[in-house]
Amino acid sequence: MPVIIEARRLKKQYASFAAVKNLSFSVNEGEFLSLLGASGSGKTTTLRMIAGLEQPSGGQVLFQGGDITQLPAARRNMRMVFQDFALFPNLTVWHNVAFGLRLRINRGRVGAEEIKQRVGRYLETVQLSAHADKLPQQLSGGQRQRVALARALVTDPPVVLFDEPLGSLDASMRKAMQIELKRLHRELRKTFIYVTHDQEEAMGLSDRVAVLQDGELLQLASPEEIYAQPKNEAVARFIGTANVLTGAVQVSEAGTAVQLPGGARIALKGSVAGIAPQQVVTVMIRAEQLRVLPASAAVEGALSARVAERLFLGDKIRYELDLGEKGPRLTALDSAGGGGRFAVGDAVQVCADSSHVHLIGRPDADAL
Amino acid sequence: MNTSVHTAGRDRRQLLIWLVPPLLWFIVFMVVPYCMLFYYSLGSTEYMTFKPGLSLANLIRVFSAEPYLSVLLKSARIGALTALGATLVGYPVAFCLAFHTRTARAKFLIYLLVIVPWWAAYLVKAYAWKTILGTNGLLNALLLKLHLIHEPLTLLLYNEFSVVLTLVYIFTPFAILSIYAQLERIPTSIVEAAGNLGATTFETLTRIIIPLSLPGVLAGAIITFSLATGDFIAPALVGGPSAIMISNVVINLLGVAFDWPMAASIGIVVIGVGTALISVAQYLEHRSQARF
Repeated sequence: MPVIIEARRLKKQYASFAAVKNLSFSVNEGEFLSLLGASGSGKTTTLRMIAGLEQPSGGQVLFQGGDITQLPAARRNMRMVFQDFALFPNLTVWHNVAFGLRLRINRGRVGAEEIKQRVGRYLETVQLSAHADKLPQQLSGGQRQRVALARALVTDPPVVLFDEPLGSLDASMRKAMQIELKRLHRELRKTFIYVTHDQEEAMGLSDRVAVLQDGELLQLASPEEIYAQPKNEAVARFIGTANVLTGAVQVSEAGTAVQLPGGARIALKGSVAGIAPQQVVTVMIRAEQLRVLPASAAVEGALSARVAERLFLGDKIRYELDLGEKGPRLTALDSAGGGGRFAVGDAVQVCADSSHVHLIGRPDADAL
Repeated sequence: MNTSVHTAGRDRRQLLIWLVPPLLWFIVFMVVPYCMLFYYSLGSTEYMTFKPGLSLANLIRVFSAEPYLSVLLKSARIGALTALGATLVGYPVAFCLAFHTRTARAKFLIYLLVIVPWWAAYLVKAYAWKTILGTNGLLNALLLKLHLIHEPLTLLLYNEFSVVLTLVYIFTPFAILSIYAQLERIPTSIVEAAGNLGATTFETLTRIIIPLSLPGVLAGAIITFSLATGDFIAPALVGGPSAIMISNVVINLLGVAFDWPMAASIGIVVIGVGTALISVAQYLEHRSQARF
């Protein structure tokens, strides 16, 4: 798929604060790309620079290969869905949606009859035909959100930008809108660039996720890859519930393992290239990939632990496990179907398949 | 339960104690004067002294005898022109203050510049216009120096134009502040959204910003209209004989002719007309009020 938008070494400097530092990435045509990060990570600033609402301090924004860094927002071929929806309070739903089509920029291109048709069609798409004559203040949060969506889509832009569009909706409405967005993206085949701080939302909706922190790109990959192979500790911690452990490598006849503080050993898969004995490495194990077993079970490579905390989450039980006095604490998500087997204080065993132990970072890799 | 009822009762009594001073103020300085005004308007004068009565003759005279009605209409016209002028001058200032002043310090500075003239006495400011617009005034001197005119213009001062100009100058801050208060409430994202959809600055202004600021414009217009219509200093200083306004007539009736019933009747009519106009404007303001 051809690249539609490219950010080249984008920078945004506010007085003494660098919001975005040297950010480069490209977005493919028809792709659903999320910019994921905590508040202050620069994700919204990046989106606003793409939209032309913020002038970059350095770098370029390219649209289909052409430099649009200096192009005013009104002349860029992209529409934005704002976090607060930004509906025009003085206009009805119909006129809000028709706003873009009735501007001078579209005069002569879109006739009155076509405006009527298109507004009608998009109001139908977002299921608001019955509310066309209402003012935004008469609508619920979810309905306003859908007006904002229709308003952005009706002008048929190749790129649609979303700035935390579901942030102000309640949980159930948010889930419904996520499915709606996914459907719209599939049906309309437009490029969606989506800013969110909700990793679950980003993972569920996107073709690719760009994880941002402190104005820098940590990783840009498919949700599956980011989940399974986080590039570094920050990404690992940001996505899902991860156990990030540091220890020294030990090589023996039984294979390669990582010795954690307190003495517990975690086996690594096969022989890992480029790793020397005694080298300090960081590994990541997903909480849902840890198995919690009774202390009596005989499982090779299992670690003994004690249950420090137990949280019932409905479909899962979350255990906080202590690996001995000096050992690290692990988080395990056990499926509740197995029965609420363990209580706080119980001695248990915990183990992970070596294929689920991921080496990340490799801080000393260069030294080899 | 009993105690809570008891406490509620005591709370209410305490609230009443707090309400007594403002209530007294309201009665003594608002209700009583209105009643007196009404009482005087129904009386008559004989040999320059007030005679109580129950006659509507004075009220009828406001509409039938010259010059009352025509002066009243002229005052309303000057008030309306002042409101219009103050809005036209004040809107751009309020707009800049709301959308194009980035730092809080710059905002404060402009805000201060708008308000500071009010630290100076009104009389001084009105007098200043006399020295600007007069035959030997600043403006004429400048125009003569630039050889744009050969002899001083006399049509600058002592007419309706100079009255409206002075009143616009004096009352514009009210328009600015009330329009600014409304513009400030417009979220930046709404302006950005219009631009993002392809609107030019002019389209954003006419289709979004101006409609949304209408309540502030109307509120400012009501204030400036009311203040200007009832003004008596500007017409006295820069108005000349032809630009006499209704307040000047009332002052003459009170202080020179000692015709208090006539003066009170004019007051009643002004209050009535003013209340009606403000009600209409308020109705429009309420209708144009959009919630953000």
